[in-house]
Amino acid sequence: MQNKFSFHQSSVSLEIIGLPDYSNNENKDQISIISQWKLTIVDKPLIEGKIEHLGPIMDAFYIYSNLLIKNEIPKYESKLIDIKADNLHIHNIVLKSSKPNVKPLVLKIGNSLLSDTINCFDQLNESPKVRIKKTDITTNIPKKLRFRLNKKVKFFNFFIPPFMAICSLILFSSYFIYFYSPLENIEKKEQINPK
Amino acid sequence: MTIWKLRNNNPLRKSYVTNNIKHNEFNALIRITVEMSKYLYPYIREILKSKEDIKENSVIWNDFNERFIELIKERFNIDSMRVKKLLNRDENDEIIIKSLLILSFCISNQGYQKLRNFLYDF
Repeated sequence: MQNKFSFHQSSVSLEIIGLPDYSNNENKDQISIISQWKLTIVDKPLIEGKIEHLGPIMDAFYIYSNLLIKNEIPKYESKLIDIKADNLHIHNIVLKSSKPNVKPLVLKIGNSLLSDTINCFDQLNESPKVRIKKTDITTNIPKKLRFRLNKKVKFFNFFIPPFMAICSLILFSSYFIYFYSPLENIEKKEQINPK
Repeated sequence: MTIWKLRNNNPLRKSYVTNNIKHNEFNALIRITVEMSKYLYPYIREILKSKEDIKENSVIWNDFNERFIELIKERFNIDSMRVKKLLNRDENDEIIIKSLLILSFCISNQGYQKLRNFLYDF
């Protein structure tokens, strides 16, 4: 007998069907082995797929939403899903099928449906009844962005230490201005008495 | 009273104090914001939706924007360039939408941690 859990947020609902992992002494009402999932968005085609697709799709939504609010270029691309912004309010989602000769599913959702979807995924992540394997999020960041992030970090690592060194050197050496300099005085005397 | 005092740390306000907000006060403000977002999510969602199809739902967006501008004019220092940007209807869309999106993404039980991470990243 399979277990079924649903997570709802306004116009979006996520259904998870699966079994508990009895080998791990889990309760009957838990799901660790997901056999099926369905994401229903009102007025949009049903999204469903294999278990290995759920993690990458969730990651895609999380990464995209982060890019969107952090003033980065809101664009996510992978073998399974592409998400990019049409404008500030509409987002274009392309879900690519793993089966050959199947056309990709194209959806346009607004900010309201995007936040509903993110909240459904949050509910799933926080649910004690469903355990999902975490995928490595960093591997799904688009190459261009990853390069930019690395470049940013490398630039700071390269730039900050010498910058701090120069600043501390200037601050430290500025104290010496106030010290008496005998050489300078000898030179001044020589200028006054050229003999 | 404490919240009222903390509010005055905002340098964009007409009169503000320059006390540094303590770490626990900062966390408390985040918790209040998240709880308010949970409560107000249906409204936040409707405002976001109204901007998606401005021809059909322009009333909600216009009402919200008008009220937002009224509040800013009433309480913020309108000589500041940053406040002027908030008041400019052509420029404030992006700021408002992104702020509402951040709030709408943080309504889960882990919303406090999420909002905290967003704010630290800025």
